[in-house]
Parts: sequence; structure tokens; C-alpha cells
Amino acid sequence: MTSGLPELLRGVAESDAAAILSLGSRVHLQSGAVLFSLGDDADTLFLVERGRVALTLPLQVGGRDEDVLVEERQPGQTVGWSALIPPHRFTLKAAALVETELLGLSRAALLDYFATRPEAGHAVTRNLAAVIGQRLQVFQAMWLREVQRVVDHRSA
Amino acid sequence: MEMFLMGLCLSMLGVAAAALAFGAATRGEPGRAEGEIQAKAAEAPPLTVSMGTPRFFAAGTGLPPHQPVPLDVLLLQIERHVRLEQAAAESFINQPSSASLHSRTMSPLAH
Repeated sequence: MTSGLPELLRGVAESDAAAILSLGSRVHLQSGAVLFSLGDDADTLFLVERGRVALTLPLQVGGRDEDVLVEERQPGQTVGWSALIPPHRFTLKAAALVETELLGLSRAALLDYFATRPEAGHAVTRNLAAVIGQRLQVFQAMWLREVQRVVDHRSA
Repeated sequence: MEMFLMGLCLSMLGVAAAALAFGAATRGEPGRAEGEIQAKAAEAPPLTVSMGTPRFFAAGTGLPPHQPVPLDVLLLQIERHVRLEQAAAESFINQPSSASLHSRTMSPLAH
């Protein structure tokens, strides 16, 4: 893990952060190994401890599906927030770009803990909202830039 | 009457000759075209895509139409494009403005 708490646990009391981290189980991925696939049931949230994870979507190129990078996640960042957001299905594919270690936190364990420690649940939820909001804002801007190009192209 | 019959015979001969010539012409073309297509298909590298087709983000790519690009090169271009666009989008989020939203990109896929 990088120095300090992972982004998901910022603002969480130290004792709660330690307790939450202790709920996790380590996942080790070789380079190229798939963490989860598009459409899989999402019941585990992951914190990247070491390495890099590519989030991809299939793009039809030359008549076949090719994984195209959508986002890259690094140590300290969160992967798989669909585990906490209904309908709990992964909407991207995640694979290790290099040898990677993650901490997997099951939804059931997290929700049980948040039931006993609502302050921790509130802080984690706020951090999760920031991660989701960042994704939304980035893709909103990327989408608008592409639409602008289409408009420029058509009106040229 | 004899003149009429002679004219009729000549007309029928003309129609028959035209029909034969048309049939011969239209029979020959597909065979040649199919042969050419098969020869070109055999020569073409299998993992290329035409950049002239607006498959990615609908906008023009800046490359001449139907120029084949190896698949791995195209995928690298797409990855670079996404990274550049993400950086531009993050820059916009840090300092939202119309200028930062529509800043130019170095991505070849956007030109």
C-alpha cells in the first residue's frame, strides 16, 4: 500500500480503518490475469495495494471484440465499486497490467461492519461517492469532447 | 409482302445478335470480379481494419479512407487517445471552463 490510507478509507477513524482492512483477503494477480469480467456478479470491492489494474470495455474492431482501456487504477485506489452499488454487476473488465496485489473486501462483511459503526459507513460511502463522481465527471467531459469533434467534423 | 417479311427477319436477327452479345458480356464480368476479390483477399493481411470507416467515436480519423492499419497499432492508438482524453477531462474538472473542455488534443485519432 502507498503511504497513508487508501482513498476509500480517507477520513475514517484509524481504529475503524484498521478493522475494515482486517476484513479483507489478499488477491495476487500475475500480469494479464483477469480480476473480474464484464457482467460478473459484483460482491467484492478491491483496494489496489501494489501494481496496476486496467479497466476495459469491449470495442468492436475488425468484426471482433477487443478490450479497450477505459481507466487504470493504481495503489491506493479502489476497483469494483459495483460491489456496493445495485444491481451489483461489474460494468467493466478488470485485469492486471503488471504483477498486482489487491485487498478484497466482501460486500457482506463491509455492510455488517457499517451496521455496527455507522460513522465509518458514512465516511466510506462519502469516499465511494467521490470515486463514482470522478468517473462520471471524467466521462462526461470525454463524451462532450467527442461530440464536439463530431459537430466540428460535420460542419467543416 | 416480301419486303415486309424480309424486314421482319432482319429485325429478329438484330434482336437475337444483341441478346447474344449482352449475355456474353454479362457472363464474363462476375467471374473476373470474383477472381480479383479472391486474389485480393488472399493477399490482404488478416488483422487490419479500415480507418476510413467511422467505427470509433464516429468522427473522422484524419487518415485517408480505407488505409489499412494493423490491429495492434490501432489498439495502441486507441489506448493513447483514451489516456490523452482522460488527462484533458481531468484538467477540465480541476479548472472547469469552456476553453479547458475543448482544449486541443495530440491524439491522431481526433484529427
